[in-house]
Amino acid sequence: MVKEIERTGIPVVHICTVVPISLTVGANRIVPAIAIPHPLGNPNLDGNEEKALRRKLVERALKALSTEVDEQTVFEN
Amino acid sequence: MRLELGHIIIKDVQFGDNTKVEDGVLFVNKEELINLIKEDYHLSTVDVEIARPGESVRITPVKDVVEPRVKVEGTGGVFPGVLSKVETVGSGRTNVLKGCAVMTTGKIVGFQEGIIDMVGPGAEYTPFSKLNNVVLICEPREGLKQYDHEKAVRFAGFKAAAYLAEAAKNITPEKIETFETLPLVEGMEKYPNLPKVAYVAMLQSQGLLHDTYVYGVDAKQIVPTIIYPTEIMDGAIISGNCVSACDKNTTYHHMNNPVVHDLFDRHGKDLNFVGIILTNENVYLADKERSSNWTAQLAEFLGLDGVVISQEGFGNPDTDLIMNCKKIEAKGIKTVIITNEYAGRDGASQSLADAHSSADAVVTGGNSNEVIVLPKLDKVIGTLDYTDIIAGGFDGSLAKDGTITVEIQVITGATNELGFNKMSARMK
Repeated sequence: MVKEIERTGIPVVHICTVVPISLTVGANRIVPAIAIPHPLGNPNLDGNEEKALRRKLVERALKALSTEVDEQTVFEN
Repeated sequence: MRLELGHIIIKDVQFGDNTKVEDGVLFVNKEELINLIKEDYHLSTVDVEIARPGESVRITPVKDVVEPRVKVEGTGGVFPGVLSKVETVGSGRTNVLKGCAVMTTGKIVGFQEGIIDMVGPGAEYTPFSKLNNVVLICEPREGLKQYDHEKAVRFAGFKAAAYLAEAAKNITPEKIETFETLPLVEGMEKYPNLPKVAYVAMLQSQGLLHDTYVYGVDAKQIVPTIIYPTEIMDGAIISGNCVSACDKNTTYHHMNNPVVHDLFDRHGKDLNFVGIILTNENVYLADKERSSNWTAQLAEFLGLDGVVISQEGFGNPDTDLIMNCKKIEAKGIKTVIITNEYAGRDGASQSLADAHSSADAVVTGGNSNEVIVLPKLDKVIGTLDYTDIIAGGFDGSLAKDGTITVEIQVITGATNELGFNKMSARMK
């Protein structure tokens, strides 16, 4: 899906836990997620902490989306 | 470490007044067995049935399959850290009731439980259709939580297997197999010219009912470690998981791991089988990185020339598999990986979720998406209530005429990744 959407000219950020698979399938902008059963959150945290974590992920993804890349890039920070 | 496995061949299982083995027949005192399993208050009802090869019987949803074994000589007892105390096992003598197994069924715990047919086309896909099976039907107490339910049924299987195996304790085995692994340095001195080969066994440890235990420890909490191959023959590794039936390693698979047996067959002849590196398949990327770093490091530390790596389950564990392969190859050690495929019903899709050029020696256990039609059988042990929802089934799998159209994913052991089954493929 990442590749098909990008083919139309729209940049895509792939938020995903297993970064190596994302690299193998050819995503260009990758943001590492939390864990496979809960990629975008962490049920072990309390509500406020989890919200902050989720916000951070979304912000990182938006930053990645607006960053020019010339090769597959993993946005760790 | 040296272990003798004494085979007591079981040709038939019947109910009887006493639990005993006589002339190759295992007699089971049904009431005594039920009472033993019912000691666990988590279970409301327990029943026992027998399913023999060739009978028109379907067992579903199958959770685990266990081989009855008993320690006759040597330290510890079977299923250490689980049923027996945490004593090191794998030495001395263990008697095995060969040709029979304990199976657990009953209300579903997780959606990835299996079907075992004792006859017909489905029977060809599972090794357990060739065994005389003592099937436990365990129903949970009202309101029992899913994890407690899984644990109660898991323990029921081990208790029943250990109970039956007691009958084998004082019987002279028909055949004795001996397996021995020397400490690393002694082995190298004894076989200085043979390549050193180890087995990297990947254990399913994703959590959420996908768990394996090593001496009672949840495998997601281990870091890769080394174990003598004979330890697993005494039940040091047990299954507690509801991964897709076709590629979950049941406890029976662990006890009879064919990679271990085949490496032993060639040990001292054309290779030196030094032991097993155990590792896991966790759901955090950092865990995957750490564990695969560690397997590669242990492989280097042991001075290996080659490893065989086996996977359990599919999807994200494909990444653990490829990471292990890639990192061990990078140390200059040759690898062979054993996996299976989810290549779509026509077999045309990409087989694994991950890949790498260093994975250039691959053994497949077959395509789990292949579709099969299972005919109606005379008797069902368990229930057909879940046929449409277990992994590999779909809405409408169970037809009005009683036939079941499913992917072979639902058949226990169908595309096993230890090479326990018969399917594979060869590139030309």
